[in-house]
Amino acid sequence: MSRKASISAREFETEAIAQLSALLGVASRLTRNTADAQDLVQDTLLKAMRARDQFESGTNMRAWLLRILTNTFINRYRRGGLERNVLDGPDADPLADGWISASTMESLRDPESQALRPMLEQEIKRILDELPEEFRLAVVLSDVEELSYKEIADIMNCPIGTVMSRLHRGRRLLKGRLYEHARAMGIVGPEALVGDTSEKQEPVTNLAQYREKRVSRS
Amino acid sequence: MTSTAAAHSSCRQIAPLLEAFGDEELTSDKLLEVEQHLVDCTTCTERVRLNQSLHLSLRSAVRSAAPVSASFEERIAAALRAEAAREEVIDGAVLHEAAHSRMLSWRTVVPVAAAAALTLVWAGSAGKQQAQNTNGTAYAQTDTADQLLEELVDHHMNARRPQVTEASMLTQFEPEVGVPLTLPSLKDYGARFEGGSVVPVSNQHAASLRYMMGGHHVTLYVYNSSRVPIETRLKPITVRNEPVYVGSRRGVSIAATEHRGVGYAIATDLNDDESAELVAAVY
Repeated sequence: MSRKASISAREFETEAIAQLSALLGVASRLTRNTADAQDLVQDTLLKAMRARDQFESGTNMRAWLLRILTNTFINRYRRGGLERNVLDGPDADPLADGWISASTMESLRDPESQALRPMLEQEIKRILDELPEEFRLAVVLSDVEELSYKEIADIMNCPIGTVMSRLHRGRRLLKGRLYEHARAMGIVGPEALVGDTSEKQEPVTNLAQYREKRVSRS
Repeated sequence: MTSTAAAHSSCRQIAPLLEAFGDEELTSDKLLEVEQHLVDCTTCTERVRLNQSLHLSLRSAVRSAAPVSASFEERIAAALRAEAAREEVIDGAVLHEAAHSRMLSWRTVVPVAAAAALTLVWAGSAGKQQAQNTNGTAYAQTDTADQLLEELVDHHMNARRPQVTEASMLTQFEPEVGVPLTLPSLKDYGARFEGGSVVPVSNQHAASLRYMMGGHHVTLYVYNSSRVPIETRLKPITVRNEPVYVGSRRGVSIAATEHRGVGYAIATDLNDDESAELVAAVY
């Protein structure tokens, strides 16, 4: 039997205000518009307040609020579910497929902050916003909100394996585009291929190629 | 991968685990396997570091792109306090009705057997008019309920141009109506929302939400059930274990129900069973 909480309105307000930054961050990446993101957060918190007796004490309040936020977003902006586009971008990329050298990967990082180099970091929000929603949400919930796979699966209403797949594909697209940008900016030069070069593949450009490659891999 | 790692797993086996490693989602045996591999493999170590860099930069970029301003925080706090105030009003009304209902329980037995199965909240709502009146005023209450039903039918038959047509605009009616307003979709029944208005009912205000459903006009009224007691002249039935009151006036079927102090009444030219089914689906 689940333990239901009886949170007073005052307690809920305190909890909700503490989660505003996380909620607004996710809402902004979903809507890609500040005004819409703020409206989405307000709708989310009012819904959550009316349904707060359904919150189970001892569980993650932020994850619960993010689940309501995601459902509200889908119902309000995306009837029928999050948009998806498996062919959005190259299916293979040098970074994720492991045929870029360690020294090239190192040159993408800032040695002091351990984050990406500033010239790449400036582009990361734009690149993130270009990801299909399913991938973008999975990446934000994991890398920004640091939720577990199980919590993300609950929020996105899908199996954990699907979460892992979306995360992998989202990060793969992100890294691929960051690498393209780094090459265009001259941060890295032409790469001498290393490692498992047999895995190098040309990017697919249509669904038939994509399926063919999936079959040949299996 | 360096030659000294020959005895360990290959990069091909380890690379697919590196994301879950960074996400701290590996089982203990896989974790050990990856850590052993990373001791010797500079390429996979660099992959892990790049993943961590991406993680750090994403976190920073997303948070800095959407700072929480003081005005936004105040806006949210104000919205939550307004919602809390509404809850207090509703809860107070329900308690008040329940108290009156208990006072009457020994002298005014609910006259319809089916009503005995209704929930306590509903019993409070249904009995409140009888509870607080003597014999003389009970007739006045009945007259009031009749008048209310007539008003609902009038508004349904003579619907004016809606004040709003967007569901998101309904919240602006909340101060007048006195209860939270969210649009019941009724999409499962093929109903399409056309617009909403505020209408006067028994010197109070109700939200009037207009739908079109298979060629039939449907008006859903949402109101403070403690102030708009329409159910006393309707027949109690149970739909999916929920109490619903139904009846007809001038060829218009009316079905009413109540949830947490919010009243819902539907006026349609459907039959009573269909109206009852519809109103039971609104919350």
